Amino acid sequence: MAADTSTREETARDVTPSLPATTYTTRAGRTSRTGRSTLASYGFLGPNLILLGVFLFLPLGWALLISFQESSGFGATGWVGLDNYQRLVSDPTFWQSSLNTAVFTLITVPLSLALGLGLAVLMNSVLPGRKLFRTLIYLPMVISGVATALMGVLLFDESTGIINKLLRESGFPGLPWQSQGTAAFVSIILVTLWIRVGFNMVIYLAGLQGISPELYEAAKLDGATSWQQFRFLTVPLVGPSTFFLLIMDVIYSFQVFDTIFVMTAGGPGRSTSVLVTYAYENGFVTRDQSYAAAIGIVIFLITLIFTAIQWRGNRSRDTAG
Amino acid sequence: MTISRRQILGGAGLLAATAALNGCAGFSGGGNNDGGDGGENTLSFTTWGSPAEEEGFRRGIEAFEAANSGVRVELDLVPYEQIFTNIDAQLQANTAPDLFRVDYGTIGAYSSQDQLLDLSSYFDAAAGEEFLPAMWQAIQFDGKPFGVPHQTDTSAIVYRTDLLGDAGITDIPDSLDSAWTWDEFRAVAEQLRASLPDELYPFVYNWQLGGSPRWLSWLFQAGGRLFNEDLSGSAIESDAGTKALAFTQAFFTDDLVPPNSSVKSSTYADDAFSAGTTAMAFVGNFVLPSLDADITDFEWSATYLPQDERGASDLGGNALVATKNARNPELAAEFLRFMTQPEQMSDFCARAMELPTLKSLVGTDLDYQTRPDIAGIFVDQATTLQPSDVEQLTSPAMASINPALSDQLEAAFTQGQPVEETLANIAAAVDQATG
Repeated sequence: MAADTSTREETARDVTPSLPATTYTTRAGRTSRTGRSTLASYGFLGPNLILLGVFLFLPLGWALLISFQESSGFGATGWVGLDNYQRLVSDPTFWQSSLNTAVFTLITVPLSLALGLGLAVLMNSVLPGRKLFRTLIYLPMVISGVATALMGVLLFDESTGIINKLLRESGFPGLPWQSQGTAAFVSIILVTLWIRVGFNMVIYLAGLQGISPELYEAAKLDGATSWQQFRFLTVPLVGPSTFFLLIMDVIYSFQVFDTIFVMTAGGPGRSTSVLVTYAYENGFVTRDQSYAAAIGIVIFLITLIFTAIQWRGNRSRDTAG
Repeated sequence: MTISRRQILGGAGLLAATAALNGCAGFSGGGNNDGGDGGENTLSFTTWGSPAEEEGFRRGIEAFEAANSGVRVELDLVPYEQIFTNIDAQLQANTAPDLFRVDYGTIGAYSSQDQLLDLSSYFDAAAGEEFLPAMWQAIQFDGKPFGVPHQTDTSAIVYRTDLLGDAGITDIPDSLDSAWTWDEFRAVAEQLRASLPDELYPFVYNWQLGGSPRWLSWLFQAGGRLFNEDLSGSAIESDAGTKALAFTQAFFTDDLVPPNSSVKSSTYADDAFSAGTTAMAFVGNFVLPSLDADITDFEWSATYLPQDERGASDLGGNALVATKNARNPELAAEFLRFMTQPEQMSDFCARAMELPTLKSLVGTDLDYQTRPDIAGIFVDQATTLQPSDVEQLTSPAMASINPALSDQLEAAFTQGQPVEETLANIAAAVDQATG
């Protein structure tokens, strides 16, 4: 479109040689048009830039400043340089929370991608009542995170939860969802998957609907089985969706808070403590906001580095897709 | 009339900006420095409260407004779980309310950081004399009052009469003097364990969700202390400390309490009891209205906390405080005085099943509106609290000790951390907080 316009302009200029005065007028008009167009661009960008600046970049810069200070609980009291970061290095709870965050991410991201894609393929087929199923699967994403986590408590509470009641009714012993670390971790992962799979499914559905059915017809003619069609057509062709979801899911996993805060509060012991719950605990329970800010900056850096690596590795795919 | 694209865009931009600014306003809360919502004659008051407490506060505010023409009190009710996060942020942003409610264990975190209004010039020594000494002490820092003790509460044991009867436990203490000893309590719990099905538990203790200081009742009952005499360091590494921690750790190892009822559990003890999963529960008197409303399928009553070297109970209850930058300090102090007048306090306590802090009301029969038959047990139990317990429980250092206490108890109860190591870690946290 842009190429067409410039070609037309060039042609017009060749056909009508202009006087210097005319040229001057034309250039002024073009400059003014360019200026207006730039102004319009900033007009559209402006509200977003203001919101991002006020609610993202300013707090981020502020958190960085606070992380170099000492906190009394009601404001910073003095500069301490890198003390808070040095404290992190020798804090076993920080390392435990980092490890938990990494394990949580490594488990939830591939599982939610796989389940999301599986459900999307299912919902993209001729499934009876698929609109209803799509809505039901997406529903947890629409509800507030705390409300979904409270439903998680209703399901997984060790004494009164629905799952343990069903297990006991069936003659099995109840599972230690809150009193044993691994079971608690599993309960958090299950609820997280329940929340997140719907979003992944919708993005994958959009990706699937952009794939031409002719490709599958050609594959069938070539004798490809259903699995081969899925493996060698569907999976590569939803690559841009996978790239987007991978970044979003990793960021989500690194920032998980409400589900854990409501369901286990990081317990039993520290077995479900993650970086954000630990930062919250320091900032709002111990009232050491500088240390909490240092943890927040670490979370930001890890996420930033991961996204940068992903972006670099997938640049060609992103531009091609 | 035609509307140009520019006008539409301009209008949309204006709407977006208005929406964004409205969004910002949502964070400001009941600011005390904007001066635009009633000014000098308006007080903003932030609190949490059960439905019964909310009703009590609304009645008190109505009476205060009726007694002070032209004065308005804006009540802002927030959930307990988030009140102090909000208040901290508002104090830092200088948009805190004029008044708020705070528990005795947390007041020191504010008074020691110069965030509260010093009430010395509004409440003289004679005014302080009207309160129970332990309660008046609880709101002081550096010898100055920074709030008024509005009510107190404490814990006792509630029990299911059917399950105790089935287990053959009929000798239940009916006076403070006859309260179970630790050994007797342990025997009762074991007797219940033997008679209950696996999914039910003998009892549940109320140390969840910020309640870890309630563990100190066991320490005090064993004759121990958390701090040394001059509150300059720890004293928990003692025989009493070892005894108290070993005794409570065994609750978990011997299946006497639900395994998911440790200090980091997200379920309150009274919820477990009303769900019918335990035969007994340690609960504060403030939950009696909700227990009374929620429990419909079994009979329940109450008895006293067990005792060892002595009786002891937790320091529950809350003070009302004014912030240092309150718009009208005189009016704020007047509101605090009004809310702690005998008439107001007795109405609030009777409604919310809580205990008064005025000497003149102790010993009088309040018109308790829920389970008056067991209210006296809590009143008696509160007398086991000693001034030495209060000075420890209200130390400003407790704000930073509590998270460590919670972590260490959790490790001992659910991870099998040895008693000596747990006590040493708690002692280190106390020394760090006081040092």
